[in-house]
Amino acid sequence: MTLYEKIKTLYPSLEEQAFMTTIRLQNDSDGKGDYIEKWEHTLPRPTDKELA
Amino acid sequence: MGDIILAGSTSGSITVAPPAVAGSGTLTLPTGTDTLVGLAATQTLTNKTLTSPTITGATITVASTANPAFSAYGNAQSITNGSWTKINYENEEFDTNSNFASSRFTPTVAGYYQVSSGLYFGFTSGANVAAVYKNGAEFKRGSMNSGGTGGTGCAVSALISCNGSSDYLEIYVYQSSGSTQSSGGSSAIQWFSGAMVRSA
Repeated sequence: MTLYEKIKTLYPSLEEQAFMTTIRLQNDSDGKGDYIEKWEHTLPRPTDKELA
Repeated sequence: MGDIILAGSTSGSITVAPPAVAGSGTLTLPTGTDTLVGLAATQTLTNKTLTSPTITGATITVASTANPAFSAYGNAQSITNGSWTKINYENEEFDTNSNFASSRFTPTVAGYYQVSSGLYFGFTSGANVAAVYKNGAEFKRGSMNSGGTGGTGCAVSALISCNGSSDYLEIYVYQSSGSTQSSGGSSAIQWFSGAMVRSA
């Protein structure tokens, strides 16, 4: 499951638009995978435990 | 007094001759040790500032280091749905000042750079958009396009000031097809290019 899918599972109502504005998932193509680069949404930022 | 003839230290001589015109003028010689510039002589000038020069019929050669330009393209790459992903450009078409490396353009001449990028996806549903990142953060975003028959693609172009030392530019792409997608991967459909259009 990708990071995006984990977040969508955690917050099913989260709109796609949020990932273009208040939330930024990013992958620097350095082999480290996706990570949360920015989280400015009113919903609380998921914890590492919730995303594990 | 007419001409002044100066004898060479070993042989020959040089004649300093006034113009054959009426009136008078003053020719001031520079202080320090230097060489006068001749009209027809082939010489390399340094530390000169030209104010409003008129250059006629000249072929001007600009050193490759003066206006960096590059063009590169990438191999097919997996782009995860919903995550801004740095695009890799493994192949260089040209890189005039060796400023492009590791899919990153770091110009070593301060100035204004026009950079552009294009990328193709084969998916038919969902959207995609490209952005220029400056120093690791999104700086300019292109328009978002939706998938359709034949696939889709995204592009971005921007004029960006770079300080010629630490500033660097990269391309990131976002896609929302609903699943991981492979980018096109060729010189025509996954490219990144740019050049300096004005010095700082």
